Amino acid sequence: MLRIVGGQVYDPAHGIDGVVQDVCIQDGRIVENVDAAPTIDASGMIVFPGGVDVHTHVAGGSINFARAMTPEDHRRTTAFIRSQTNRAGVGGMTPTTFATGYLYAGMGWTTVNEAAVPILSAKHTHEELRDIPIVDKSCCVLLANNEILLDLLEAGEMERAREVVAWQIWASKAYGVKAVNPGGVAAWKYGKNAEQLSEPVDGYHKVTPAKIVAGLAQIVDDLGLPHPLHLHCNNLGVPGNLTTTLETMQNLDGRRAHMAHLQYHAYGGDDWSTMRSEAPQLADYMNAHRNFTTDAGAVLFGDTVTITADGPWQHLLYKLTGRKWGNLDVENETGCGIVPYTYRPTNLVNAVQWAVGLELLLLIDDPWRVFLTTDHPNGACFWRYPEIIQLLMCRDFRRDCMAGQSDKALSRIHLPDIDREYTLYEIATITSAGPARALGLPRKGHLGVGADADVVIYDQDDDVARMFGHPRYVIKGGEIVIEDGDIRATPEGRGLLVRPPHDEQIEAFLRPLFEDYYTMSFDNYSVEMERIQQPEICDCIDTE
Amino acid sequence: MGGKVSCTLGEVKNRADFVLYWGGNPAECHPRHFTKYALMPKGRFVPRGRKDRTMVLVDIRETKSVKAADIFLQIRPGKDFEALSILRALVKGQHVDEKQVAETGLTLEQLTDLVDRMKRAKFGVMFFGMGLSMTRGKHMNSASILTLAAELNAYTKFVAMPMRGHGNVTGADVVMRWTTGYPFGVNFSRGYPRYNPGEFSTVDLLVRGDVDAALILGADPGATMPQPAIDHLARIPTVVLDPKVTHTSRLARVHITTAVTGISAPGTGYRMDEIPLPLRPALRSPYPTDEDVVRRIHQAVAEKPDWMAAGGQTTTTQI
Amino acid sequence: MSAIRLTLKEQPGVPLETEVLSPDALADLAHDEIRSLPVQLGKRRRRLDDFFEIEGERSDEIEVHGDLSLLKWIGRGMSRGRLTIHGNVGMHLGAYMTGGSIEVHGDAGDWVGAEMGDGLISVHGNAGGQIGAAYRGSPTGMRGGTIVIDGSTGLEVGMRMKKGTIVIGDTAKDFAGLQMKGGNIVLLAGAELRTGAWMIRGTIISLKPIAMLPTFRLARSYNPEFLRLYARFLSGLGITLPCAADEGRYDLYSGDVSVPGKGEIFVWQPAEAAASR
Ligand SMILES: [Zn+2]
Repeated sequence: MLRIVGGQVYDPAHGIDGVVQDVCIQDGRIVENVDAAPTIDASGMIVFPGGVDVHTHVAGGSINFARAMTPEDHRRTTAFIRSQTNRAGVGGMTPTTFATGYLYAGMGWTTVNEAAVPILSAKHTHEELRDIPIVDKSCCVLLANNEILLDLLEAGEMERAREVVAWQIWASKAYGVKAVNPGGVAAWKYGKNAEQLSEPVDGYHKVTPAKIVAGLAQIVDDLGLPHPLHLHCNNLGVPGNLTTTLETMQNLDGRRAHMAHLQYHAYGGDDWSTMRSEAPQLADYMNAHRNFTTDAGAVLFGDTVTITADGPWQHLLYKLTGRKWGNLDVENETGCGIVPYTYRPTNLVNAVQWAVGLELLLLIDDPWRVFLTTDHPNGACFWRYPEIIQLLMCRDFRRDCMAGQSDKALSRIHLPDIDREYTLYEIATITSAGPARALGLPRKGHLGVGADADVVIYDQDDDVARMFGHPRYVIKGGEIVIEDGDIRATPEGRGLLVRPPHDEQIEAFLRPLFEDYYTMSFDNYSVEMERIQQPEICDCIDTE
Repeated sequence: MGGKVSCTLGEVKNRADFVLYWGGNPAECHPRHFTKYALMPKGRFVPRGRKDRTMVLVDIRETKSVKAADIFLQIRPGKDFEALSILRALVKGQHVDEKQVAETGLTLEQLTDLVDRMKRAKFGVMFFGMGLSMTRGKHMNSASILTLAAELNAYTKFVAMPMRGHGNVTGADVVMRWTTGYPFGVNFSRGYPRYNPGEFSTVDLLVRGDVDAALILGADPGATMPQPAIDHLARIPTVVLDPKVTHTSRLARVHITTAVTGISAPGTGYRMDEIPLPLRPALRSPYPTDEDVVRRIHQAVAEKPDWMAAGGQTTTTQI
Repeated sequence: MSAIRLTLKEQPGVPLETEVLSPDALADLAHDEIRSLPVQLGKRRRRLDDFFEIEGERSDEIEVHGDLSLLKWIGRGMSRGRLTIHGNVGMHLGAYMTGGSIEVHGDAGDWVGAEMGDGLISVHGNAGGQIGAAYRGSPTGMRGGTIVIDGSTGLEVGMRMKKGTIVIGDTAKDFAGLQMKGGNIVLLAGAELRTGAWMIRGTIISLKPIAMLPTFRLARSYNPEFLRLYARFLSGLGITLPCAADEGRYDLYSGDVSVPGKGEIFVWQPAEAAASR
């Protein structure tokens, strides 16, 4: 039991905007009232629902590949020292699993969605998710380049495809469906890509990226998944890709979708030298079409490592940067590429990327549909979110950051003309209430009765980045886990899953295919329930 | 700076039309490799199986694997790095003299032909064994072949991967990475993980005598490591967890018999391509699992007073 | 201000990490403060005076006596002052240093001057591998300064170095100048195999014939002007580089074409040998 007294509460889901009121906690949930409970005096402090990350890469084969590639970063970063209760680890660009939990919680985030899981190695992802303490975890399974599905789409067998998807979600113990560069990763298996939405994917006659996207979005809706199709469009990062992005959104024809890391998909220009921001056009489209949510995938200047299932893009980036390159293609399903990267303010392309992320956050007018992410670690590490909050809340700070930029760079972006400053209420929306709603997690992202007691308390501070970087208290499931920068408790987090109903007969269809497609036996393929820590099966919904 | 470009074994099965083995003898050391993954199987995009694939073997001597090869290149011992350097140069169209090639025991014609075949392949794969990774040059030999594969992607699809030894070496590597950031050779003496192969790798620690106790799990260094390392293990308190009597258990102070993982203890094994496989026990064992024993040791250690006295939960200045 | 003098009184049973043995750490401390500085023995923290007799205080001149083979990180990141070691010393001597000088009357371990920025390290005995190198995964090794090893060295000397000078008096093992990006390595007695492998830029000078990788090409034979200037710099360190035309000339090999790189390896051909070719 716990009573938080006297804090200014921001709870956008209930329209509470800085009202001083008590928050009561019992048995891990928010309750109306508690008697004789220990209290936290939060006078002069700010109370938020725990942060929710809708799109991050924290566990599984890809990030673990990136860890092996970047020992130089582990050495220079914050190290976590082992104690009787805490595990050793390192932070940095690719934090180790235990450190990931400590860093997210340390910043006040209590739920994270790992955005890219191949089914074939999903056991590995879940083993890592178990080792991320404190936060609750969900994950999205990669299906837009799954060859069994592409073959079904080629044959026009939509109904069977839906049954297969339902089976695959449960087999991977996933929460949602992710599409990455639809068709392009499959083509990458022979070194090619998919750049045109309406052209057949290499090796197919009928299947196009457009059909994959529409098909998967339809299936996700038919199955009633609480989170819409999580979509990483074709032509990520490429100048002029705005056209592809808009076409993709039009092609969805009113179906729900979450547009991942939109920053990487909002460019004009014909090549690297003419690349410019098209954030206003994309924001207008977002504003006019309420079937979409998105996350920023914002970029901050500095060192990071880029990790994506988008293999062809990563090969291009390797050729552009001449830095280390890791690639791992996963049979029949997906791929992954890894390239360390440094975003430099003096680099025109990087300067545009930096601005585009912020422009989208500032120009999309509904904070319930645009969320704070950096596509960790691609645009920046998640533990740098407080810097972005400062950029959103302080126009003058933004201007200071742009002071050193060349006229050429300034002519390619719109940020200097934007006056909007986020309020605390809006920050609570884009970091917690909004992403929780987009994920379809009814007990996350708010402080109403019945919600999970995931609460952050900040000391009020004019230095916004410091305030959000160092919460006074973080409470997870009713337990104080962080106090004044120290880790106080490291409870296990929950594993959030869905189990869409499917026809059991679909296994009879899939089993014989495995001999052809895979090198793993059908019986070894599914993730066993025992691998999920504190599993919680979430309800499917009616999307009509 | 090169890199590591790889894939899961199913990609090899379904797509590889060019397969090269360097410094390994799969016919005898990984017999299932030919039949299950790389050579014989009919794949989705190589429907005629063996007929659709070209197999090249590079080794210092004729092994049983030669019979399975379309092309055998017998390289002079210790010249792998040189040959790989020449290949990298040729791939990029750099001029190399016949004379300069001579030391490798191969001819310029052979290497030029090899490069042509690699570039013509639709999907090429190179597997490399201990004949490359454990001979003079060691990690630089591995780096050379990995870099060659990465660079070939400017022309066609190419991947490379090591043929790992037996046991769950890959699994250890994978778990170390997510818990510490580093694959092996990790030191925890300051309370946080540090990595420096050569300084902290097991064999170097033992040869130099830098450790005063050893806990051995899932390995038999007494059979494989150099004599000075073995001598040091015998000198210090060595504890071995193993289902059977081994060279190491014979020289250890303590041998705890454990259940055989995969046969009578459950767990997860990682394939050489880092794909996890569930291990489901078929039998019961009277012995505890490795995990049980380590947990109990850990519990006992945890009851001792904390010796770290680190004065903080984190540090920003690692040594 | 007289030197601080430390004498090892007890050999550690396992490696001892003593990054505090550096002028930057000691120069402003009183005697008692120096004595109580922390050192890391295996997993335990101990005091400097558990292992050393200590004389003096408040000086950036430090003398250490004894067999320090198991002592790591001496002079780590030092920026000033003078550190003299009478005896052998362990790994990472002067790693990350940015100034000052270190002199060792004995042998040194691996990673001498790794990723150093500036300063001078001289070792009068032999040293281990990875001298002036980049740590694993780092893009860049030594960025400046000078390392002189009178004796022989191990593998990967100057790996990924960008600037500065490394001089090796006796034979260097394999991969000297590996992935070198700049700077100079002088091999007074040659090297074993694969010198200059993956070299991008930079200069290696060998006064003895060395085995060349097949991916280096003989470009020309001459006495380059810049070597004359460089010889003057080296003579300040007590090292003689032959460069008179009547003494011989240098074969210049360029590579590594496998990269393809623009590195240069100069191999000295004394007059008689040059004439007989
Ligand atoms: Zn992502």
